[in-house]
Amino acid sequence: MSDSDRRVARGGPYVGSPIIMATVRVVMPFVFTFGLFVMFHGADSSGGGFQGGVIVGTVVLMLGIAFGIESTRDWIGPRLPVALVGVGVLAFLFTGIGSVLLGAGFLEYAVYGDLGIPHASKYGIEFVELAIGVIVAGIVTGLFFAIAAGTTGGESA
Amino acid sequence: MTPLELSVLALIVGAAFATAALKSVLNSVVAFGAYSLSIAIIWVFLRAPDVGLTEAAVGAGIMTVLFLLTIVKTEHPEVERTFERIDLQAAGVALALVVVLSSTLFALPAVGDANAAVADDEVTEYYLENAYEETHVKNAVTAVLAAYRGFDTMGEAAVVYSAGVGLLVVLNREVFG
Repeated sequence: MSDSDRRVARGGPYVGSPIIMATVRVVMPFVFTFGLFVMFHGADSSGGGFQGGVIVGTVVLMLGIAFGIESTRDWIGPRLPVALVGVGVLAFLFTGIGSVLLGAGFLEYAVYGDLGIPHASKYGIEFVELAIGVIVAGIVTGLFFAIAAGTTGGESA
Repeated sequence: MTPLELSVLALIVGAAFATAALKSVLNSVVAFGAYSLSIAIIWVFLRAPDVGLTEAAVGAGIMTVLFLLTIVKTEHPEVERTFERIDLQAAGVALALVVVLSSTLFALPAVGDANAAVADDEVTEYYLENAYEETHVKNAVTAVLAAYRGFDTMGEAAVVYSAGVGLLVVLNREVFG
């Protein structure tokens, strides 16, 4: 093991690998689409917001590993993952409160049919799955960046 | 039990032993990833693909990455031996626990048993019969999670939210001061 290899293995400075970069560039859109598929298709087969959200979050992890965690974090920004988590929880909450305001029980999606939405129940469930997916994806990327911060020697800020 | 299931079970037990016995933390994390992946396959055999998908994505995927990121920050000295010396007392306690827990195995119904309490329970029957008409989703698991038990799932989302935000606050303060 040469000296530079050892430094990388010990979490030294980021060294780009063209193979990993090219692979991530090719695979990334498919993984993202698969995550969305799992999120939405949870209504008809196995899957759902939790699983799909993790897969969507994995896309950011792959980007970080291929192109350097620091530069990926600078590109995404520190607030976006946390903001996504908040938006997801609020979307879920307001879906429930909205059905109460329309005169039904909490999270009783069928009542949204009164607003002219076809298959209100199904789309309500898929909306909630999407909200859960956004929460999970935000948490996964946020945790990834927070835990990875400082691996390069603590000069990251 | 088919040979395939037996070999996956053997893989699980082997990966679990490797996780416990390997001396290097890095090796343990890799073995733990293999363990999670084989557990995910077992979930599919047990006809719980939803759980299997979660285990594969969270257990084998994200957790492995987070563990790796964490141990990169720690000092890991060169280890001269591959395996940990086995602590006989701890191994005895673990073995006793396994024996006690295994005694409950015989009380469980066979996989896919039509007469199992879960399969012919009134609640299960109700969900299977009415889930599609009432919620218009074909996956009864999703119908229960998001519609019938939507309030619980919202609680889960709130737990993920508060745990995650709490962790992020602490970690960011640790890292960025």
